[in-house]
Amino acid sequence: MISLNHVSKTYETPAGKFAALKDIDLEIRPGEFVGVVGKSGSGKSTLLNMVAGIDRPSAGSVAVAGTEIHALSENKLASWRGRNVGFVFQFFQLLPTLTAVENVMLPMDFSKTIPLRERRKRAVELLNRVGVERQADKLPATLSGGEQQRVAIARALANEPPLVLADEPTGNLDSVTATEILDLFRYMANGGTTVVIATHEADIARVIDRKIEISDGQLFRS
Amino acid sequence: MTTLWRKAIRDFWQERARTVLVVLAIALGISAFAAVVSSYAILTRELDRGYLVTNPASAVLRVDSIDKDLVKAILQNPAVSDAEPRRTIGGQIKAGPVQWRNLVLFVVEDYGNIRVSKLMPESGAWPPATGEILVERDAFQVARVNIGDAVTVKTANGVETPLVISGSVHDVGQAQARMENIVYGYINLATLVQLGEEPRLDQLNILVAQNRFDEDHIKRVASDVEQLIKSKGHEVRRVEIPQPGKHPHSDLMGVLLLAMSSFGLFVLMLSGILVINLLTAMMASQVRQIGVMKAVGGTHRQIARIYFTQALFLGIAAVIVSIPLGILGSRALCRYMAIFLNFDINSFAVPIWVYLLVALIGVVAPLIAAAYPVWRGTRTPVRVALSDFGLSQANFSTGAVDRAIAQIGGTFRLIAFAIRNSFRRRARLVLTLLTLAAGGLFFLSALNVRSSMINTLDRMFAARKFDLSVSFANPYEFEKIQKAVSKTAGVKRAEGWFTGEGSHGDRRFGVVALPPDTQLLDFDIIEGRKLTPQDTDAIVINNALAGRDPKMRVGETVTLRIGAEEKTWRVVGIAREAFAPSPTGYIPLTGMVNSVRLALDDTDEDSIGALKTELDRNLEAEGIRARGSSTKSESRFGFDQHMVMIYVFLIVTSVIVGSVGGLGLMTTMSLNVLERRREMGVMRALGATPRIVWLMIVAEGVVIGLLSWTIAALLAWPISKAIGDFLVRMMFRSGLDFTFEPLGLVIWLLVSIGLSAVASFLPAWRASRITVREALAYE
Repeated sequence: MISLNHVSKTYETPAGKFAALKDIDLEIRPGEFVGVVGKSGSGKSTLLNMVAGIDRPSAGSVAVAGTEIHALSENKLASWRGRNVGFVFQFFQLLPTLTAVENVMLPMDFSKTIPLRERRKRAVELLNRVGVERQADKLPATLSGGEQQRVAIARALANEPPLVLADEPTGNLDSVTATEILDLFRYMANGGTTVVIATHEADIARVIDRKIEISDGQLFRS
Repeated sequence: MTTLWRKAIRDFWQERARTVLVVLAIALGISAFAAVVSSYAILTRELDRGYLVTNPASAVLRVDSIDKDLVKAILQNPAVSDAEPRRTIGGQIKAGPVQWRNLVLFVVEDYGNIRVSKLMPESGAWPPATGEILVERDAFQVARVNIGDAVTVKTANGVETPLVISGSVHDVGQAQARMENIVYGYINLATLVQLGEEPRLDQLNILVAQNRFDEDHIKRVASDVEQLIKSKGHEVRRVEIPQPGKHPHSDLMGVLLLAMSSFGLFVLMLSGILVINLLTAMMASQVRQIGVMKAVGGTHRQIARIYFTQALFLGIAAVIVSIPLGILGSRALCRYMAIFLNFDINSFAVPIWVYLLVALIGVVAPLIAAAYPVWRGTRTPVRVALSDFGLSQANFSTGAVDRAIAQIGGTFRLIAFAIRNSFRRRARLVLTLLTLAAGGLFFLSALNVRSSMINTLDRMFAARKFDLSVSFANPYEFEKIQKAVSKTAGVKRAEGWFTGEGSHGDRRFGVVALPPDTQLLDFDIIEGRKLTPQDTDAIVINNALAGRDPKMRVGETVTLRIGAEEKTWRVVGIAREAFAPSPTGYIPLTGMVNSVRLALDDTDEDSIGALKTELDRNLEAEGIRARGSSTKSESRFGFDQHMVMIYVFLIVTSVIVGSVGGLGLMTTMSLNVLERRREMGVMRALGATPRIVWLMIVAEGVVIGLLSWTIAALLAWPISKAIGDFLVRMMFRSGLDFTFEPLGLVIWLLVSIGLSAVASFLPAWRASRITVREALAYE
């Protein structure tokens, strides 16, 4: 499903060059639930960004579901991402002027993979699946952190992507809510979706299939 | 409706205040533009339409006398479609104790059958009965009379005749009476006889049958008619060919409209800058959302479409606001211009092309303004967009300029902070300064142009050392006039002059013969020299004649026809005269005079009035008949009226541009506050009181205001000189004696500080009310 070959990423900063990823090789199988664990600044977000095509490697290649994504243009990448990747952020990143259901419909409007009339129905179903269907017509600002993250997960599933990436999805949640969210990801993986979670919390072993540790841009165990 | 449309609409609603500001900014520019374009369409249509409706004469021939047979003979020419005789005669008019005013009387044979240069009856009687006079509507205030008043009228023969003002007419083709300080009166032939004049007509208005707007054709036909009149034993004194189909003031109006159009475009451009500023900030605040949309599959085009849709909404809203505002503005402008130029507007209908143009510009301008911010915003890489936290430290302290600015302020931390903050968003600062400084420049220019005009007029009238000028119906020996003058108390000095007409080739110009050592006219010689008592064949020409006739240069000898005599003259000097002087040559006086220039002891209106009455009596005792008179203040009045127009225009423009600038500063400050909310939270957490936060933001606004004032002050001299020269050159074909008005700098400094404090007050007040928790939670 995911294949990274000798991937390196170096940033130019006012303080000089900074290597965020160093010669990474990684293979993730379809339907696998992988946790990328590391401290803040270890490179786990950069790794996820590479897989999502949000960032490009300085060296090496990234292939996801058979597509060499590092070779795609920005526009093609966006379209590809809309159909193939669901992304969940630490700070939820719901658009503040759209209601919960509209936030879920947004990727469908971009990708146009689902007929216009069916989009709302599907969005409500997804909200139902993550347990916040009653909040469908509310604006994000009126929802709790946990509810917002559930909406964000529903949004990530909008186009039924084969891959869901989540960057610190529980970082801003209390422990009870965090457990519920992780269970949701487990449920997705059980359904065949490949899930990769970046987190600095080590206690996700109970839900994931495989743990990858990252430190100073290098993988320790995979 | 897709979520993309919903987002576009709801973002607007969420940022209602900012949206209103943007709409106002665009609407202000579009309204000014719409007002000017509509006025242009209405005025050009109405002025020429109103003029053409009167069937203006193609040519006017001044003849010794015209009878019916002569008119009949002229009408035999198929190139002439109509010919109508009239008489124009100079005189004076007064009502009650009011002083004599200069009068131009038009004598019409048959008021029921005016076919050429028609008069429009306004109110009262029509046609005037014998013993009655109609007055041009604009001349009532010059004569200070009303319909029904009894007036006394005298022509050059000196016979004072009581007449009754029975009505008012509108004579579209005449220059405004107020500007010329002349009363236009209309009488019949029988009344002319009552005035002691012969009942003859001496002016022939002809209308060509074809090619009415072809000046060459009109010249040819007029020449044929002139030959015919001469062949019948008559004398043709002058042939005048007005610009075909054009109101005499259409050029003046064209200049004013051109100046206004330039201004309209300028305001449009300024509001465009404001829109760029706002949309750039709007896009900056959307960067994270753009990142999210890209992360969930949005392409550049899809995302750009959202923001272009917003720009389109802004444009549509602005057009909806601006069209009625623009129409209202154009009506006010048209009414003002119509009063100023003395013509009627029958219809304020705005042509459809104006609506389309305004709508097009209103919609397209924000799209163009949005292009760069949207392009830049949507091109932000997803990773960068997602990690955007608004204003970061990287915005400041990385460059040499920042480090230099960081040194400013010393121990005055508040000022230092205000200065540094104002430089954080440099592109925004530049655009804000541009709009504010433009307002300042217009304001300073308005004051400088005004004081330059006053200075130029002061200089021009200071050169004229006489306070009263009296013209006579016939030439007299100066000694005879001197006798009358010497019996009149209050005259310091008197000089007899002869004013007439000369020609060089087929070009006519005014000729003034005056004592070569005149003490009553101080020539402003720009080349060559003045006249001297030894001169016999020397001529000094004014800049208008020198400009029109390049052969007349200093040192050249030219053959001129002055009166009936053709003689060779040496051009010895060129004198500068301001504000559209008529081409004139000055020669040494050798014979009789037809006017007297008087320097007086007392120059107030009452003293001059009393002196004129006494002088008239003394002149009559000597058998001299005065035809007209004018005082220095009357001559100046006309100039001042023209100046007021330019001055009002500049002040109005500076107020509008200043408003755009103020609006710009207000948006800049509110954006700065919005972006620095978290910083303010930190400061509040560190102990800053709301008052301190408020003061800091107002100080930042004032710093920007002071910077804009500095720019305006530095540029004011060259720019206002250029604007003044441009306007005066276009209107009067002459330059200005430029003078800088230092008071303007002080006034604009106070306005800048006041405007910037007011513009930043609201954002500062809002910022000071945010709680620490809200500010720290702001992303």
